[in-house]
Amino acid sequence: MSIQEQYKKRVREILSSGAVKMVIGYQAGTTADRRRPLFIRTPEEAEKLVLDSACIANLSGYLVTEGLLSDEKSVGIFLRPDGIRSINILAAEAQLNPEQVVILGFDGNEKEVTALQGEKAKDFTAIIASIKEHAPSAPRNPQLEQIEKMSPKERFEFWQAEFSRCIKCYACRQACPMCYCRRCIVDSNQPQWVNTSSHTLGNLEWNVVRAFHLSGRCVGCGNCDRACPVNIPLRLINAKMAGEVLGAFDHFAGMSETQEPVLASFKKDDSETFIL
Amino acid sequence: MSEPFEPKIVAFVCTYCTYAGADLAGTSRLKYAPNVRIVRLPCTGRISPMFILKALQKGADGVLVSGCHPGDCHFTHGNYHARRRWTVFRALLEFTGIPLERVKFSWISAAEGGKFADFMNSVTEDIRKLGPFDQYQRLINETEAPATL
Repeated sequence: MSIQEQYKKRVREILSSGAVKMVIGYQAGTTADRRRPLFIRTPEEAEKLVLDSACIANLSGYLVTEGLLSDEKSVGIFLRPDGIRSINILAAEAQLNPEQVVILGFDGNEKEVTALQGEKAKDFTAIIASIKEHAPSAPRNPQLEQIEKMSPKERFEFWQAEFSRCIKCYACRQACPMCYCRRCIVDSNQPQWVNTSSHTLGNLEWNVVRAFHLSGRCVGCGNCDRACPVNIPLRLINAKMAGEVLGAFDHFAGMSETQEPVLASFKKDDSETFIL
Repeated sequence: MSEPFEPKIVAFVCTYCTYAGADLAGTSRLKYAPNVRIVRLPCTGRISPMFILKALQKGADGVLVSGCHPGDCHFTHGNYHARRRWTVFRALLEFTGIPLERVKFSWISAAEGGKFADFMNSVTEDIRKLGPFDQYQRLINETEAPATL
C-alpha cells in the first residue's frame, strides 16, 4: 500500500473515531506540480487527499487560525520535520497546546516521501535532534557564501536590487507560520516604524525587521520564499540568521515544546566581542 | 564652497549608567564632540532594533548604543537580553550590507565619564573619516521625505 493510501486510511480512522475534528492535508493544485491545502472534516473527504513529493508547504500556520483550537478538540495535520519544529516553537511561545495537534508526519526528497512514526510533537524529538546535529555540516547555499564574500558596499547594492522589487504585499508574512501577531509592526502607525509606500528604503526596513523577528524562530520551510511574487531570496536571509543563532547561542529553533525562545532568554557568559 | 562634513550621530543610552556617565562627563567639564544626539531610555532592554533603523532612516551617519556593564543593570538583566538582541541584529545588518563601523555598541557605567567622552570623540572621528552614509542617503532621498534629524 502506498504511503498516500496508508495515510488516507489513517485519516478516515481518526476522523470517524472522533479523535480529531479536522485534518489539514494536501490536495491537487492548479497545475500538476502544485498542491493546495485541504481541510478534511468528514471521512469521505479524505478521498481528495494527495501526499507526494510535491507537498512542500508548511501547513502549521493554519493551526493558529483564531478560534480553531479553542474548543479543546484535536486537529490532525500533515507535517514534514520542519513543520513539526514549527509546532514546537508555537507551543513554546504559548500559541497552541501541542496535545491538541495530531501529527501525520512524513519526510522525503524531490522524488518520494516516507512516513515518519509518531503522533505528538514530542514523539519526533530524536528526528529533530539529528537534524540539529547535521545542521553545521549541511551543504550551504552557494549564493549565501557568495554574498558573504562581498564587501559591505556590494552587499548593500545586492540587497537594494532585490528589495527594490518588493511591493509590500506582505505575502511572506501571511505565508509564515511564525508570523501570528494580531497586529504586525508594519500595520501599526503610531509610531510608523516602516514606510508603507514601496520605496526601497521602506522595503529594506520591512525585510530587515521581518528577518529579525524570525531570527532563532525560522525553521527554513521556505513558505515565504515561495509566496514572494517578485522572487526575493528571503530564504537566504533566514538561513543566514538561523546559522548565526546556532553559532552564537547554540540555538536550533523548534527542538522541543519547552525550548526557551533565543531572544527571550540569555546566558551571563554570552559572547560580546563587539561591545566596546 | 561646501561646508566640511560634520557627522550626525544618534546615541541610544540607558538612563542609569551611560546617561549618568554623560552627566559626569559634563559636570567634570570634559569636552567631547557635539555631533552626538543622545536619546535617553530606561534600559538597554528598551532599545528596539527599530530605533537604530529609524535613526538611519532620519539621516544619521552613525548610531551608538550604550548601557550598563553586564551585572550592573538596574533591572538586573535588561542588558543581558539587549546583548543577545544586538548580536543577532548586528549580524543581520552586516548581511544586508550596512557597514558595522556605523553602528557601535558599548558598556559605559555612571562612573565612566572619561570613557564616555573618549567614546563619543573616537566614534565621531571614525565616522567623519568614513564620510556621509551616501548609500542610505540615496534611499532616503528617493522617498522624498527629507531627513529631519
